[in-house]
Amino acid sequence: MTPRALAAILGARLRAERRTILYACAAALVLGFAQPRGAAGLIFLCSLFGIVMALAQDPGRYPHLDRCEQSAPLFGRELARAKALVPCVAAVLAICGYSAARLLAGAGDAGVTLVAATAAVVATTLVALSATIRTGPSRALYVVLAGSAGACAYFLAIVVGSIPGELAFCALVSFLALRQYGEALARYDPV
Amino acid sequence: MPNATAAMALLRMRNAVFSAGGVEAGPVTLDLGAGEQTALVLRSAREAGIVALLAAGIVKATSGSVLINEYDPRVQSVHCKRIAAFVPYEPLPLSSSDFARYIAYRAALWNVEPIYAQTVASVLLRKLGDVHEAFAYPLVGALIARPRLVVLDRPPPVYASQILAVVGKRALFSTHAGAAAARAFSRSAAAISAAGSR
Repeated sequence: MTPRALAAILGARLRAERRTILYACAAALVLGFAQPRGAAGLIFLCSLFGIVMALAQDPGRYPHLDRCEQSAPLFGRELARAKALVPCVAAVLAICGYSAARLLAGAGDAGVTLVAATAAVVATTLVALSATIRTGPSRALYVVLAGSAGACAYFLAIVVGSIPGELAFCALVSFLALRQYGEALARYDPV
Repeated sequence: MPNATAAMALLRMRNAVFSAGGVEAGPVTLDLGAGEQTALVLRSAREAGIVALLAAGIVKATSGSVLINEYDPRVQSVHCKRIAAFVPYEPLPLSSSDFARYIAYRAALWNVEPIYAQTVASVLLRKLGDVHEAFAYPLVGALIARPRLVVLDRPPPVYASQILAVVGKRALFSTHAGAAAARAFSRSAAAISAAGSR
């Protein structure tokens, strides 16, 4: 996949969801002013937004984008990577909104919290992506799994206080989730 | 009607069936050579849509086989999609101000030179004349990647002659839910061929 194709998919899908992203960034900004310390609100709000954005990649929500991507000469795993990047970028933008508010509120540097939150949100979002090409109980199961991944990441980073442990957990979960999504997308018949 | 050019057909379907979750399409058997045109009438709109997706290599046959220039979409779908361009039935909800962005998007996905894509797209759009933009844009978008086979899912028969004119000498496979629509395409193809031989 060329970087141009990746940028085109990312740009088109972010543009299609621009209003949702704007509202999420605004919500994160408000949260940043209301609760500039602590990571619970940030991780749970942005994870929730990541799940919503992942579910927005559902086939059928933007049929013309789906058809173009399905008929383009791209491998399933390439398309999976491009589509996975969309909710991740959107969720990271919300985290940036929160960080901006936090800085403006004078809460000082919170690099560690932001790194922990970003890892948790990306893992949650990637697990939720697999729900988009499933229906019924398996779809609900993936959403629950995504929520559980976010909760585990929070537990490791904040309750246990092990940021390296949280990062390792999130890296493993993200890798497996992305691989699973790519395989499922390659076998998926859009009928 | 399916024709019988078995040697190196651009599209070869042998008892191709799609079946999943109560949805069934086929069996379809046909050979379509380079530059040939086939308008296939199916039992329902749903089946016509699925057969078009099968012929474009987007959906894989559950049983039987589909070969696009001897490539099997089940294992070489990327090769198939470089050869076959799919034009969906659903009209594209874009305005004229979105056209350039849409062409740039498609050019990026098919790795086509952006300036070439925009130039070809504007020429094709002009050729399509009075065809409604919701139907013209997907067709133009499909043609910028220089496909050898164009697959149309239930194209509007009212635009048959304009569509055939821009598709030109490429192989064309269209699916239809009614015989009248297929006849419109066959008649227009015959008229264009007769005009060309004069």
